[in-house]
Amino acid sequence: MATHILGIRHHGPGSATNVKQFLEKLKPDIILVEGPPDADGILEWVGHEELKPPVAILAYQPDQVQQAVFYPFAEFSPEWQAIQYARKNKIHVRFMDLPLAHRFALDNEKKEQEAAKEKVATPDTGEAPSLNHNAWRNAAEEVTEAAAITEIRRNPLSWLAAAAGFEDDEKWWEHMFEHRQHNEQVFEAVQEAMQALRDALPQKDDRDEQLREAYMRKIIRQAEKEMFPEIAVICGAWHAPALTGMPSQKADNELLKGLPKVKVECTWTPWSYNRLSYYSGYGAGIGSPGWYEHVWKHPNDDGTRWMAGVAKLFRKKDMDTSVAHVIEAVRLAESLASLRELPKAGLEELNEATLSVLCNGENILLRLIEDELIVSNKMGAVPTETPKPPLQVDIEKQQKKLRLPASADWKDYILDLRKENDLERSIFLHRLQLLELKWAYKSDISGKGTFKEQWRLQWDPAFTIDIIEKGTWGNTAAEAATRYVIKQAAEAAELKTVSTLLENAMPAELPGAVQVLIERLNNLSAASGDVIQLMEVIPALVNISRYGNVRKTDAALVTDIVTGMITRICVSLPNACTGIADDAAQALLELFFKMNDAVNVLQQPEVTTQWQQCLQNIATNPHTAPVIAGYTTRLLADYKLLEGEPLIQAFYFAMSTATAPAIAAAWLEGFLKGSGTLLLIDINLWSVVNSWVAQLDDATFTQVLPLLRRTFANFTASERRKLGEKVKNGGSSTAGTPVTDGNFDADRARKGLPVVMLLLGYPQPEGGNT
Amino acid sequence: MSAILRSHAEQLFAQELEELQKQDSGKRPANWKLTPQAVVTYLIGGKLKNGFEITPKYIGSRRLMEIAVATLTTDRALLLYGLPGTAKSWVSEHLSAAVSGDSTMIIQGTAGTSEESIRYGWNYARLLAEGPSENALVETPVMRAMKEGKIVRIEELTRIGADVQDTLITILSEKTLPVPELNTEVQAVKGFNVIATANNRDKGVNDLSSALKRRFNTVILPVPDSMDEEIDIVRRRVESYEKTMELPAEKPALEEIRRIVTIFRELRSGVTLDGKTKIKVPSGTLSTAEAISVVNNGLAMAGYFGDGQLKAADLAAGVIGAVVKDPVQDKVVWQEYLETVVKPRDAWKDIYRACRDLI
Repeated sequence: MATHILGIRHHGPGSATNVKQFLEKLKPDIILVEGPPDADGILEWVGHEELKPPVAILAYQPDQVQQAVFYPFAEFSPEWQAIQYARKNKIHVRFMDLPLAHRFALDNEKKEQEAAKEKVATPDTGEAPSLNHNAWRNAAEEVTEAAAITEIRRNPLSWLAAAAGFEDDEKWWEHMFEHRQHNEQVFEAVQEAMQALRDALPQKDDRDEQLREAYMRKIIRQAEKEMFPEIAVICGAWHAPALTGMPSQKADNELLKGLPKVKVECTWTPWSYNRLSYYSGYGAGIGSPGWYEHVWKHPNDDGTRWMAGVAKLFRKKDMDTSVAHVIEAVRLAESLASLRELPKAGLEELNEATLSVLCNGENILLRLIEDELIVSNKMGAVPTETPKPPLQVDIEKQQKKLRLPASADWKDYILDLRKENDLERSIFLHRLQLLELKWAYKSDISGKGTFKEQWRLQWDPAFTIDIIEKGTWGNTAAEAATRYVIKQAAEAAELKTVSTLLENAMPAELPGAVQVLIERLNNLSAASGDVIQLMEVIPALVNISRYGNVRKTDAALVTDIVTGMITRICVSLPNACTGIADDAAQALLELFFKMNDAVNVLQQPEVTTQWQQCLQNIATNPHTAPVIAGYTTRLLADYKLLEGEPLIQAFYFAMSTATAPAIAAAWLEGFLKGSGTLLLIDINLWSVVNSWVAQLDDATFTQVLPLLRRTFANFTASERRKLGEKVKNGGSSTAGTPVTDGNFDADRARKGLPVVMLLLGYPQPEGGNT
Repeated sequence: MSAILRSHAEQLFAQELEELQKQDSGKRPANWKLTPQAVVTYLIGGKLKNGFEITPKYIGSRRLMEIAVATLTTDRALLLYGLPGTAKSWVSEHLSAAVSGDSTMIIQGTAGTSEESIRYGWNYARLLAEGPSENALVETPVMRAMKEGKIVRIEELTRIGADVQDTLITILSEKTLPVPELNTEVQAVKGFNVIATANNRDKGVNDLSSALKRRFNTVILPVPDSMDEEIDIVRRRVESYEKTMELPAEKPALEEIRRIVTIFRELRSGVTLDGKTKIKVPSGTLSTAEAISVVNNGLAMAGYFGDGQLKAADLAAGVIGAVVKDPVQDKVVWQEYLETVVKPRDAWKDIYRACRDLI
């Protein structure tokens, strides 16, 4: 009877090989693996042919889903190999870390304490993360904390690495233990090294660490008690010494007594290499998962296979790469390795060779290899039957049905909503968006009408947590989205929020939610005294009713509400336009602009008449803010409700000398808003404005100049230029009264005629030169 | 002291090479004077087992030098690429001195470099008198290096016309140089290789054909990473220059070197060292090599025309000469820099005054 402690590095391919060989030689009767015992139940899935690494065990607290931890495994993770060995040989395998039930509970306690006594920043773990703990947490604070730790306390391995003359402890470990071809006594060596480290470095009094190691010992003792003859223990190298020198059982039990506990659930979830790399903030992350997989799969590769992969990638990206390049690169990598007195070319040598031979020294191309090969975007898979929250099952089913695979690379989809399948896809994506799942981003697509949508999809394994969290709202995407939207609607106090929700819920085809939203909208708009709020939501709502055409949704409901709301607006808007400051008037002007568009899109005669009447009221009310009065006058002119003499009358009235120039100019600004072309074309409007400017005396002109400038600055450059030309020609460039002086040179004028005709788009006069 | 203006690397550092050879016990590639490890040590510097100090020749990334040396052990040639003044030729000289013990096999590439100066030429008097014979053949450095198994250096490879460049292809891939006139060939002895340099700043150069490019491993030599690295380079080079030129001036204060390097780095990167102010960038490259020559120039000024101590006034002319390459645009850039960056710096009043007087 014996207990064998195998200290490993999480996700180390060399460690994995060593563990595998060791186990095959030892033939143990039970294997204990560092990991949460809460997940013992789902270990039976390992060996299922559809469970393909990289995968992760997801453990979470069902009543507080954000309290969740992932335990990722790649094919080259020693733990994965150990578990697989156990499953294949039908022997017991158990996790032996401190159960998450306790850890979550402790965490909660700690958080409460911290909340109680403000914030006392004491980071709790300080060892080399990759040797210590392989849990991946989704909390952002965890990541920053981890970064702080590395700064505060040097990674203990770096002491050994420095002693061996390596700059980088990762590299040292790799060369010492991972790239080793022969593994006799490697575990003893690791243990000794770690023992030396633990002795030499002052131990921080860390309760978490002590608890974890005490619990590991507890499980080992239990296995010994159960009379398993050969016990293999797979744990992070850092813990190895703590598990060999067993302290008294009593002390451990004392330590573990009375730990708080919460309920924890576990499941398998697909993982990606990207998430496994430390770029994603994973504590036990590795720099190069893709490379590690290569090392695991082809332990005897001298770099040729890797270089061939690089060449293939380069060719795929249209860069000429010959076989000779590959040969030369491998040779260079080998001579670099021998120069550095390494037994074998590592990733670094291969990268440098690639840089020098394949990339002509340019660093940029190496980024490509980094993304595609060294990290790689490989994603794992889990069997459909694994215990999963129902919402996730539904989402996966839909993904399969609609052929929208979850991949770690982003992909663009252009959906044609007239097609059945694309419409369903769009509905599905809209629902997930309502559930705040950040898988799909809708981007604007230009010039394709309302029946096309463009989406960019990129899956992240951490979405699993979000799905579980939203799972409380329902068992299918539709149900969950409906309930979630209804809940948000009930909490919403602003019309804008509800209308945005409605805008999103419409294309998601959630009739239940839409019904509630519309009611809510109705109630809120009735209660709302704020006409501005109402005006803000109108354009969005009109958009929705327009969508009804493509979407087969019942838009009539919305249209009813919109007409009701417009009525309310028309009643209270005239008052809202009086006695307001310039800034507020400007803001309101924007709303007018959109509102007017919306009314035009709606094309309901009744509504339009109502709106026009409202405009008339505003325009004629002497207390209306001048900018708005000007703009409404223009709108009325656009509707042809104010034409000819009455328009000139209105303009001169507003511009009359009795009015303060500032007010007159503001009115003009509103009047000319956004339409320089109108001024160019409409000769009446032009002469009205022109003669007004002409009759200003110098002092008044200087006073209004800045305001005029502000108006004209909003026109496009070409409009301004044309306006300027028109002024230069005395307003006669397009039409107007011809100046017949009789004192011009007819011959010279004739020469210019063809050009003028050409500019105006008339056919060439006969005999004209080009 | 010898009357030679500038000795070759293998003469200047003969003692270092000898010591390295004594300590060197590893396996040497055929016809190499040192092991690859020792070559890297020679370039990067270090302490030998017997306490002998090797001075660093290249201050910068060790990895780059390792790649360069490893390339020479394979049958690919080495192409050192980079801005002017990033020590390309310097590295190539020391590499060949350390590997072959001889840095004299060199061809300067120009637009006029012909095939005869790369392969072989003829002594026409002999050719006419005796007809084609070995005696009438004029060997080029390439041919000699092939015969003796040494490194040959080709400076400014991209300046050579494309058709002439391509004569290197056979030499590099088949390692042979046929002489059809005599119906013989010269086959390269082990140890032969080519180090070429090329700069990526100049326009109108002849890019290597892809067939030729494939026969080179490229190492890009960067401008120095950090301020301290650059100061170190300037200081070392200036000191060695002082020694050879026997200047009467005192050793330059580190402070002066720091200022020069600061000016160069700021103008090169277009931003002040504190990262707060944007600066226009002049047209010149402002390499470390130029910084070195500015300080050297200043030393000479101080020694012969000044009081022997390096002062701002001695440096000003050199700095302006290095920065203002285009008399119109660069002058504006320089004046702007002077007024906005140099002037407000309290400790820089002397250099500001000296430079302003000169413009």
